[in-house]
Amino acid sequence: MSSARRAAWGAPGLALTLGGCAWDAPMSTVIARSDLARDILHVYGIITWVSVGIALVVGFGIAWVLVRFRERPGTPQIPAQVRGHTLLEIAWTIVPALILLAIAIPTIQVIFRTQPQAAPRDSLDVTVYGHQWWWEFQYPTLEVVTANELHVPVGRRVTLTLQGPDVIHSFWVPRLGGKRDVVPGRLNRITFTADTPGEYRGQCAEFCGVSHANMAMRVIVDTPDAFARWVTQQKKDPAETVGLAAEGKAIFARSACVGCHTIRGVSSGTLGPDLTTFGSRGTLAAGILPVSVDTVAAWLKNPPALKPDAKMPALGLTDAQARAVATYLIELK
Amino acid sequence: MSADSAGHALHAPALVGAAAPSTVWSWLTTVDHKRIGILYGVSAFAFFLLGGVEALLIRLQLAVPNNTLVSAQTYNALFTMHGTTMIFLAIMPLNAMFFNYLVPLLIGARDVAFPRLNALSYWIFLAGGLVLNASLLTGTPPDVGWFGYANLTSLHYSPGLNVDFWIFALQILGVSSVMAAINFIVTILNMRAPGMSMMRMPIFVWMILVVQFLIALAFPPITVGLLFLMFDRFFGTHFYDVAAGADLHLWQHLFWIFGHPEVYILILPAFGIVSEVLPTFARKPLFGAPVMIYSGVLIGFFGFGVWSHHMFAAGMGPVADSAFSIATMLIAIPTGVKIFNWLATLWGGSIRPTTALHFAVGLVGLFTIGGLSGVMHASPPVDLQQTDSYFVVAHLHYVLIGGSLFGLFAGIYYWWPKMTGRLLSEGLGRLSFWLMFVGFNLAFFPQHYLGALGMPRRIYTYRADEGWNAANLASTIGAFGIALAVLVFMINAWRSLRRGAPAPADPWDGRTLEWRTSSPPPPHDFDVIPPIYGRDSFWREKYGPRRGPVPGGAALAEPHGAHSGIHLPAPSHWPLLIALGMLIAAVGGLTHVALVVVGGLWTVYAVVRLALEHHRTPEHAEQTGVLGLDHRKMSMWVFLGSECFFFGTLVATYLAYKGRSVVGPAPHEIFNIPLTSLSTFDLLMSSLLMVLALAAVQRGDQKRAQLWLFGTAFFGLIFLGFQAYEFTDFVHHGFTIQRNLFGSTFFLLTGLHGTHVAIGVFWLLSLWVLALRGRLAAVDATKVEIAGLYWHFVDVVWIAIFTLVYLIP
Repeated sequence: MSSARRAAWGAPGLALTLGGCAWDAPMSTVIARSDLARDILHVYGIITWVSVGIALVVGFGIAWVLVRFRERPGTPQIPAQVRGHTLLEIAWTIVPALILLAIAIPTIQVIFRTQPQAAPRDSLDVTVYGHQWWWEFQYPTLEVVTANELHVPVGRRVTLTLQGPDVIHSFWVPRLGGKRDVVPGRLNRITFTADTPGEYRGQCAEFCGVSHANMAMRVIVDTPDAFARWVTQQKKDPAETVGLAAEGKAIFARSACVGCHTIRGVSSGTLGPDLTTFGSRGTLAAGILPVSVDTVAAWLKNPPALKPDAKMPALGLTDAQARAVATYLIELK
Repeated sequence: MSADSAGHALHAPALVGAAAPSTVWSWLTTVDHKRIGILYGVSAFAFFLLGGVEALLIRLQLAVPNNTLVSAQTYNALFTMHGTTMIFLAIMPLNAMFFNYLVPLLIGARDVAFPRLNALSYWIFLAGGLVLNASLLTGTPPDVGWFGYANLTSLHYSPGLNVDFWIFALQILGVSSVMAAINFIVTILNMRAPGMSMMRMPIFVWMILVVQFLIALAFPPITVGLLFLMFDRFFGTHFYDVAAGADLHLWQHLFWIFGHPEVYILILPAFGIVSEVLPTFARKPLFGAPVMIYSGVLIGFFGFGVWSHHMFAAGMGPVADSAFSIATMLIAIPTGVKIFNWLATLWGGSIRPTTALHFAVGLVGLFTIGGLSGVMHASPPVDLQQTDSYFVVAHLHYVLIGGSLFGLFAGIYYWWPKMTGRLLSEGLGRLSFWLMFVGFNLAFFPQHYLGALGMPRRIYTYRADEGWNAANLASTIGAFGIALAVLVFMINAWRSLRRGAPAPADPWDGRTLEWRTSSPPPPHDFDVIPPIYGRDSFWREKYGPRRGPVPGGAALAEPHGAHSGIHLPAPSHWPLLIALGMLIAAVGGLTHVALVVVGGLWTVYAVVRLALEHHRTPEHAEQTGVLGLDHRKMSMWVFLGSECFFFGTLVATYLAYKGRSVVGPAPHEIFNIPLTSLSTFDLLMSSLLMVLALAAVQRGDQKRAQLWLFGTAFFGLIFLGFQAYEFTDFVHHGFTIQRNLFGSTFFLLTGLHGTHVAIGVFWLLSLWVLALRGRLAAVDATKVEIAGLYWHFVDVVWIAIFTLVYLIP
């Protein structure tokens, strides 16, 4: 059965079973947009059906027993002291075992299908670095470095290699598949093929310190043309700036910013996100705010106020300076 | 009341009907299992309320998106403290309340095997709870989650005292739990009334027995894991230092090898309570009692084989994922069997809808839901979406509240009359149940949706456009429903204690032995040790059929009359003082090393005084139990089983880290095999001397006993001398515990072994001193025998270390 048909059983089955609430939340785990997510949803659907069925059987069983056998004036004070029934007990040992077998088989199949032993050839490789509290993405073959927003082409296998320079994080974009921990000292991998262009939300899913809640990301699945355009754009040098943006660039170049951030042609710090194409991203500070002059300026003035314990300190910029730098950064496309 | 020459109270002959004194001092020095149970219960309930407040603050913060009720730092401390408190300071000690109060009553004994150690377990538990919560007063509560993953817990990423409080509290609590586990294993195996075979024991006692084995064997791995963390933070070792070659999965494995059995430690007692409550109020025996016993044992056993289902996202590889997935699914089978057997117990019964029954039935339904979400987690593909999301939060609260807490409340409403002599109001009880049932489901069912909608765990806030708002608000409202339910219970309890109706001995027409004595029982529990007529012995006594004694079982009932010679254990203030010493040492660990020394010395002194307190008490000379084994010998064997897991963890870590050091030296470059062979031989010979010492004591040869005891200790000192030389030599060559991964694992493993040798030497020298003073007669042979068991064990561990660490390249 193709993964699309499998998902056809899984997703509506789940939705129907669980009451048809709004399932299209941005981080929904029951909407699948990649082969990995569909494989998972297939097993998810089976297990959910089975679980709901068992829960209903047991629930009705409890209710019925309580009503039928409650103490009543007519019932014998001391009922028959039945101690057991071997055949019955064997039956309700074997039947659950068989049900579990029905769950185990697709489980094992999907485990091995989604975790190939060797890194798949002909995949787009991205190295993911989980930092406290932002995501760094490097495309080694394309020589692109960016942060917090990952672009991948639709219909092409992508392999993410997860590395961590500080603590354990977990990379999780639900609509594209399950999560995988970023473990310093180990190399974990996720491999998937996205099947629908669009924007998908993700978030760190392993407690990693004070601002764990503020470590979100976006994955943009592009058509092949759009992806090629994006790659070209990422590798272009930043355009010349005029006006307020030029002022902002000057402030940037003489401030502590250069110690932590890279903007091609201006600075080469590596402690914080690469900002060369910051303006091409829709969100800032690891997906927690939309990009606008106001939000960027607010961030620049006092990062820890928006992201507790952020490693980027307040740099003592005035409102005007912050707006100038924000204007500059937003023009970096 | 008789006293020894120093004026210490010896065993006080109990008078039937005499009430125990109720002074504060009598409670501080009590060794009565019933009082210790009440102490556990009251303390645990106070911590439960504290953990509940932490939960309400969490829910208030999450009620709406982008909330600013508490800061991120405070929130992270709240969920860390909530989890740690509820598990270690609420559920476990509430379970302990029932273990302590009921186990002797249920097996027809008068107390546990080691009443003073029992008291000691309680006071150490209290010390641990105080250490953990003292962190609130210093403004440095732990904030790394109750599971504290390395390397977030390292000194680099968690520089304050927060993690240190957490480490010390957990280590203290671990000592309390393991000590109690040994006590209850010996009690249950060795102190059952004549005629009570293992299969005739109440199911609750069986569950408790399984839990004690889980505790004894599961705590050592986390003790070692926490030692590694403590040494990394305090002494610069590298157990969780990635740059030095460490593997961060080590912490996860050690934590979850403890952590998974821990959840069975939390739930099996509740299962046991349901297995007592349902039969009583259905007026039928537990359906399939033998199968309920076997399934409990199987769950305990398999519970050690599933731990990495907490690590499906960690990247262990498909083979490990599959193995742990299958093992986890297998555990669902004996668990499911219990659900069906409970339903079959109710089937055909005459069900009385008491509050206790409500909570027991509630557990059956709610644990089914929690168990099913657990089965979902057992599938790694599905779990990769669900783990670290609110789906797991829903699952764990269904099994811990819907399971453990509902079970505990069933037990509270069931045994309240027995423990207090008063009845609770059924009306208020019913109200509390429904408030809790509705509140709980409102609080946690929506969290399944939140998880399915992708809400991660442990986030102090969330954005308004995630689609999580309504479910979070509903969950918060439900949490307050739970709080209201607890409040109603507290009102019920207060009114019952003040002016509740007096409870008869057997208010429920019960089936087990605790209903055979008064409510509450007299200090000596039973005027006469009850006759045992089979499982559900008291029911059989009332309604038949009575079964005869098991083949080979002792005669029924004590031959003595009610008023003769019941000797109760005398109170003691040493348990309190030992715990105080440990508390001081822990405070020292957090402040100044001088206090560690003071606390340590105080503890050692108090331990020696406790050990010698009844050295000459005739009733203590011989403590043979039902299995024909002395209590103390049995306890030493259980302790050594625990130690196997302790040293096993240390050795396994050494082997796992072998070859991973980033810098030298390597083992073959630094070991002096000839010298170490010599010291190994010396230790082997010391075991021979120990054998001679025991033989001498057993035949009453005081002179030889002195010689061989001293000889054993002396050879032990030689071994330590060799070790001191070796360590010094290594340090001179620049090989320290901080040098590399090999240094960390080698020095900690052999250092801890050396500490065990040193403790053995101290013990043997103490026995030698007793012998010198003519106070080690043949009747004291068991004391020497258990020292011998310990000594031989330490020797065997060394042989393993010598082989695996020194000899094998």
